Amino acid sequence: MALQLLITSLAMGIVYGMVAMGMVLIWRAGGIVNFAQGELLMAGAFISYTLAETMGIPVWIALVACAVIMGLVGVVFHFITYWPLRNSWDITVIISTIGASIAMKEAATLIWGPAPLSVEPLVDGVARFSNVSIEWQFIVTIGVSAVLMAGIFYLLERTFLGHILQATVQDQYAASLIGIPVIVATSLTFAISALIAGVGGMLLAPVFFVTSTMGGITGLKAFAAVVIGGFGSVHGAIIGGIIVGFVDTFSGAYISSTYRDAIVFMFLIVVLVIRPQGLFGEKIAEKV
Amino acid sequence: MIAKKKLIALLLLLAGLTLAALLPLGISNYMLRVIDMMLITYVCVLSLFVIFGMTGQMSFAQAGYWGLGAYITAILTTKFGVAPLLALLVSALGTGLFVALVGMALFRLHGHYFGFATIGVVMTLNGIFQNWTPVTGGANGIGNIPPFGIGGWHITSDLGYFYLLLFFAVAISLVTEWIHRSALGRSFMAIRDNEIAAKCMGVNSYFTKNVAYVISGVYCGIAGSLFAFLSSYTSATSFVFPQSVLYLVMLMLGGYNSLLGPIIGTVLLIMLPEWFRPLQEYILLVYGIGVILLMVVMPDGLIGGGKKLYACVVRKKCQPDDFDKSADNGIG
Repeated sequence: MALQLLITSLAMGIVYGMVAMGMVLIWRAGGIVNFAQGELLMAGAFISYTLAETMGIPVWIALVACAVIMGLVGVVFHFITYWPLRNSWDITVIISTIGASIAMKEAATLIWGPAPLSVEPLVDGVARFSNVSIEWQFIVTIGVSAVLMAGIFYLLERTFLGHILQATVQDQYAASLIGIPVIVATSLTFAISALIAGVGGMLLAPVFFVTSTMGGITGLKAFAAVVIGGFGSVHGAIIGGIIVGFVDTFSGAYISSTYRDAIVFMFLIVVLVIRPQGLFGEKIAEKV
Repeated sequence: MIAKKKLIALLLLLAGLTLAALLPLGISNYMLRVIDMMLITYVCVLSLFVIFGMTGQMSFAQAGYWGLGAYITAILTTKFGVAPLLALLVSALGTGLFVALVGMALFRLHGHYFGFATIGVVMTLNGIFQNWTPVTGGANGIGNIPPFGIGGWHITSDLGYFYLLLFFAVAISLVTEWIHRSALGRSFMAIRDNEIAAKCMGVNSYFTKNVAYVISGVYCGIAGSLFAFLSSYTSATSFVFPQSVLYLVMLMLGGYNSLLGPIIGTVLLIMLPEWFRPLQEYILLVYGIGVILLMVVMPDGLIGGGKKLYACVVRKKCQPDDFDKSADNGIG
């Protein structure tokens, strides 16, 4: 029981962490909070449904195809919601991402219909360890997410492209002065962010039903993960996501299954009151 | 000159009020219900205007406070038989007290972090509304709330509620406008524009932010109580995070620099779905895209954008910075 819960919460937590990581990347690149991140996850789930169930493409190829399509969605998302507003007040961009989240939810309902859709798991069946049984889907989720996140860390920290992205994060103006095309860098960041959210959606799709509302609560929990981890910190977001996954699953199992959402957000408030900058957030001196 | 301006403003206000008072004559009952809801929403948007538009603290918890007001009224009137007017008063004060406690805890956070924590507040409140069955009725909600009334006299029709709500909407608008012009309002705006500079000028920012938050909480409590009387039924599904987001969108679309912004934003977003009813299932899609477009074209909201357009027309020439970054009034 305990081991089962441990694996389940780790799988959920790592997906929250992935969505949270996408939010942090966008925050660092553009200084905006993306309220449509949950809807990007929803879009990934729906696209994986079309690829794997309707078109019958093998799941692992569908996973890669889904990632590529979501990358393109991210670029489009960037040009619609962020780029025209990059010089205005950040709340304006927040409102435009809220508009995008409403539009995406409705577009999904119009295309795929309001009924919940079910998706086959990536790997069927149950793994048995002595006397506990764990669904393979959860183990695959943890594996795929870990590999994907390690890849993104490598891309950001070790490659030339990653250095370009980091330079743009630090100072867009200075980056443009030394010849970095800022528009390419920011749209690439949005692409990566949408890609990991979309893959998260594809991994969650077999666990939950695919509906147009699945992004809402998942997005908010990922958001809680970002805040708990400390805004702006990539590894903080992942650890925050895993913490949220654990609080979510264990409070659902041991305290009350009806209050689990409330408990997660109570936890968020408590963490913020104790540590106002989040677990890994740096305390930034305020400037006048 | 100033006296003349004031006179014109007063006459316009009177004309508007007369028009508003005559409005319900000759429209359907359904439309009247929509307008009643619009007035309640308007009070909630005003609460956001105080805490966000004036003080610059983004609060996503307004729908939760609205629900708190509604539940206090519902519980007091149905379970304890409290008189409606007293229930309204207790709702306003109770919500204000709750918001004061939340504010005292959360205003230790700065900038965006405060906004994020309020998302936690609205999710927690909604979880309690939805699941604490013995008190809030759980998923069934609370029904059979008696109509609003004073003494032996009760409001029975939607038209009666329209005038009641109009009274409250106008009264709260006047109070808000008075705050906007008072020293207190100026200290709110000083915090919005630059918190550290405000502190240097002697504004106790922690206390002042709390005052603004309590004012906005009282507004929400009143709106929630009136909502409970109007619909005679409360259910947790109304008091959710997306509703708070809707208030924010209304405020930002209208503009947050004057009282006209919340009015226009609320009327527009409530009435547009009614006007575009033939679009049916596409309406929310159009709405979402419309929000993005409006933000891209007019980042300052309709009022701010309209002012700039007017300035352009008067000067017969647009200056590039007219449509550039608005004054440096970012949060945190």
